[in-house]
Amino acid sequence: MHEMLLHSDGCDMISFYVDGNLVEAKKGQTILEAATKSGHYIPTMCYLPKLEPISSCRICVVEIEGSDELILSCQTPVVEGIKVTTDSKKLFEYRQNILKLYDVNHPLECGVCDKSGECLLQNRTLEFELDRQEFSAKEEKREIKRWGLIGYDPSLCILCERCVHTCNEIIGDDAIEIATGGYSSHIKPKGSDELDCSFCGECIAVCPVGALVSTGFKYISNSWELRKIPATCSHCPVGCAIYYEVKHDGTLDASEKRIYRVSNDFEYNSLCIAGRFGFDFENSETTKDSSELSRAVEAFLKADTIRFNSFITNEEALILQKLKEKRGYKLINSEAYIFREFLSELSMASGVSFYTGSVEDVKRSDFILSIGSRIYDDAPVVGYAINSAKKLKGAYFGYLHTIEDNRIHPSKFVKYEVGAEEGAIAALAYVILKDKIVDNRLQEYLDDLDIGYICSESNISEEELESLAKILKSKSSPILIAGSDLYSHKRAENIARLLGFIEKHSNFKVLLIPTSTNTLGVSLICDLDKEAGDYVIGYNDIGDYRLSSLGDGDLDMPALNQQEGTFTTIDKRVVPTNAALPYGGYELNDIAKELEIARENTIDYTLSLPRKSGYRSVGFDELDDEISKDGVDRRGYNLVIEEKDTHFNLQKIADIDEYNGVVVYVSNPTSQFSYMTNRARLLKDQSSDLEGSEQFSIAAKIEDGDYVSISFGQYEVKKVFKINPKLKGVVGILPIFDNMLSTYLLPSQYKYQKVEIKKASLEKKVEEN
Amino acid sequence: MVNSKAKYVEVELEKYSLKPFDRFKRVMKRTFKGELFVGLGIVFREMVRFNIHTTQYPGEKLPISPRYRAIHELLRLLESGNERCIGCGLCEKICISKCIRMDTHLGEDGRKHISEYTINFGRCIFCGYCAEVCPELAIVHGPRYENSSEQRAHFGLKEDMLTPIDVFKKGAQKEYPGFGAPSPDADKRIKKTPLAY
Repeated sequence: MHEMLLHSDGCDMISFYVDGNLVEAKKGQTILEAATKSGHYIPTMCYLPKLEPISSCRICVVEIEGSDELILSCQTPVVEGIKVTTDSKKLFEYRQNILKLYDVNHPLECGVCDKSGECLLQNRTLEFELDRQEFSAKEEKREIKRWGLIGYDPSLCILCERCVHTCNEIIGDDAIEIATGGYSSHIKPKGSDELDCSFCGECIAVCPVGALVSTGFKYISNSWELRKIPATCSHCPVGCAIYYEVKHDGTLDASEKRIYRVSNDFEYNSLCIAGRFGFDFENSETTKDSSELSRAVEAFLKADTIRFNSFITNEEALILQKLKEKRGYKLINSEAYIFREFLSELSMASGVSFYTGSVEDVKRSDFILSIGSRIYDDAPVVGYAINSAKKLKGAYFGYLHTIEDNRIHPSKFVKYEVGAEEGAIAALAYVILKDKIVDNRLQEYLDDLDIGYICSESNISEEELESLAKILKSKSSPILIAGSDLYSHKRAENIARLLGFIEKHSNFKVLLIPTSTNTLGVSLICDLDKEAGDYVIGYNDIGDYRLSSLGDGDLDMPALNQQEGTFTTIDKRVVPTNAALPYGGYELNDIAKELEIARENTIDYTLSLPRKSGYRSVGFDELDDEISKDGVDRRGYNLVIEEKDTHFNLQKIADIDEYNGVVVYVSNPTSQFSYMTNRARLLKDQSSDLEGSEQFSIAAKIEDGDYVSISFGQYEVKKVFKINPKLKGVVGILPIFDNMLSTYLLPSQYKYQKVEIKKASLEKKVEEN
Repeated sequence: MVNSKAKYVEVELEKYSLKPFDRFKRVMKRTFKGELFVGLGIVFREMVRFNIHTTQYPGEKLPISPRYRAIHELLRLLESGNERCIGCGLCEKICISKCIRMDTHLGEDGRKHISEYTINFGRCIFCGYCAEVCPELAIVHGPRYENSSEQRAHFGLKEDMLTPIDVFKKGAQKEYPGFGAPSPDADKRIKKTPLAY
């Protein structure tokens, strides 16, 4: 009998009554969740589905038959057979009184408040028909604060604590707290006067009133004037669903040609700083000059190579591939090339055409390992997923990297030597697979591994590995996140195979973080080449003839917020993005048309994305582009995952290269991914200084504040050096977002580079400025 | 419902004679009847008496009703002389011909200010909703009804509508009693906020 109550997903279902209607709920679900899911309405203020119930507002109270007390529906689990009333005269008055208290001295400045029109307090005050106020309190002086991109007005704050909980449970910065003091309570930065956080702006998004606002948006538009355009964030491979909010600029032109802000479905999802504030990277070209187009066509006729990066849509990648098929161009995109190689080796070992993990899996898992990625900088939203798994589900997080990252707070940090990624993966494979029943050759291979030697070479302690193994035993849904240090390693092949076997023979899911926005798409669509030819067309990259969405090339191209198209995200999902702003110039398809590849629009190519790589024959206009009201991502479709034959061809672990001397890790800060974010008005002031620890400064013989020239291979950049007290170890961090176009000059894609650092004269810096 | 008993009635008209001579007589009679000279006589009499009631426009103008809705004005605060407009955008929202547009920014004093404010008078229907909705009595309909200019846009910018500061200093800004103004007994009707400490 009990078996019959079990549903397919293994959860017990229980039923109860909401306003007389029979409602089913999963065991452990709260009254609010179950009632809302079945279409009943319970008003809330502080509740956010993505957080643990805060239960500070008490608006969501309900009556339960047989109980005299009012029950908080957001935190009370459903009990079989209870009869819940969501609305009655008593409840209405109770809620009215709560709102009256919220409204005490709430400034009557709705007329100018940025939140007006989408303010929860405004909505609830009207909903509960408050037209008089009996309560009063003596008002205090409250100062408006400005913390960089975030502004805080304590007199508007209702102390719902959404921001504090989001910052802690989701983002992990844990940067703000409530300064308690009765009526004078307010939000304050934790431990200091200045806010020191990643400035993701998630606190602004979740604030139900206008207390926390974006200082860049403050007072420049009312929310109801803005038109929301659903799109996909184009900065990193996660491809978050965002809305570009557009309006006319100035009063004399009606065309919607300015993005005022970016918003998201904050109830369920979160954005990082780049996604939220890095939106105005558009190309303002408005005219078509046919002579420019003919010069471009001439260049294309002359060229034998197209070099491009992965900040393009799937459709443009397909146009490039068609150009290759028609005219035999070599397509050069080194980061997508190595990613493709890595992925194909991985799938040959795992027997599945893709890695199996997704960002949702990270949120749900109870054991997370991350290796080869500075995760908060490579894909901040994956970092948030890890943090929420840790905070909300109690997951264990092991962070394996060469540089300690104090923003992440891992359960365990395992440090390995620069260049020792292969050894680290082998050690992990050993830990994960040694007690599993696997095929004989793999068993033999693992038995042959000299773990002691590998550990000492990679500088990993064996005890750390053993403790990981011990904890892993009690975990049921582990996931392994692998970053770009692995794909670009010179032993990437073997690393990929080891990862593949981990995925095949254990319950581990593997999640690869593609290097940039559409690296996965490009690697699936384009048949990439290794060596460039003589005459190079650079599409947002260096070349003899340059197409550029920054407006500094030979021919202008639309930026990613001016294009329709699709991206292939980290979740192996094809998601659509829409043009937020008008663009008047030529696009890649215009050149393709001149070269007799005839499709009217770029989005006509969506239908013919290659099926052999897992794409489906779905046209652009048939793609859904919304997140449903209950938080399910319904955008686009998932790639078709196929079974594959597996091969066994693991190699011996190679000795690691010595990385002596001065080594830097080429990595951009969280706020910056590329030339696009670098162009954004609100992110412009982010520092691009070379950073390192005290130790690094001694090794490189430079001091804090020095203006230095950093050279490796053909690449040379000049930067200011800053000692970052939070960094440890001898590896410096070199951001290159301000100089992205020349990344192909790097000797390799491997992020660790031996460099020569010399002091450069300051006069030159002044000249350059 | 149609009344079934209703009938069409043919109106008996005076029969006109259509003979050419009768027609000629009729024209003559109608043309040279005495009324023409009666009218001319009155005009002549008033002319020689110099007691004319015509308003000598544009030298002389009739007073218009305070509720007349002519070209808009943006007013200043009576004491400080600051702009009254707080940039709330209600006029822009309520405007049924969508002819108001404003641009706002964060001022150095931490308050919301308007950088630009335009009304497209080619589309404005002078309905008065903007003045009525304005919570600050900032946008009002002024009495200026003479709109001839080379371009309609000549009245529609912020600098055209805002009371010039020198005019304001002379105390020449008029409070507007028309659309959107508080009623004469407003003071009596205002309720105090419950700050009874």
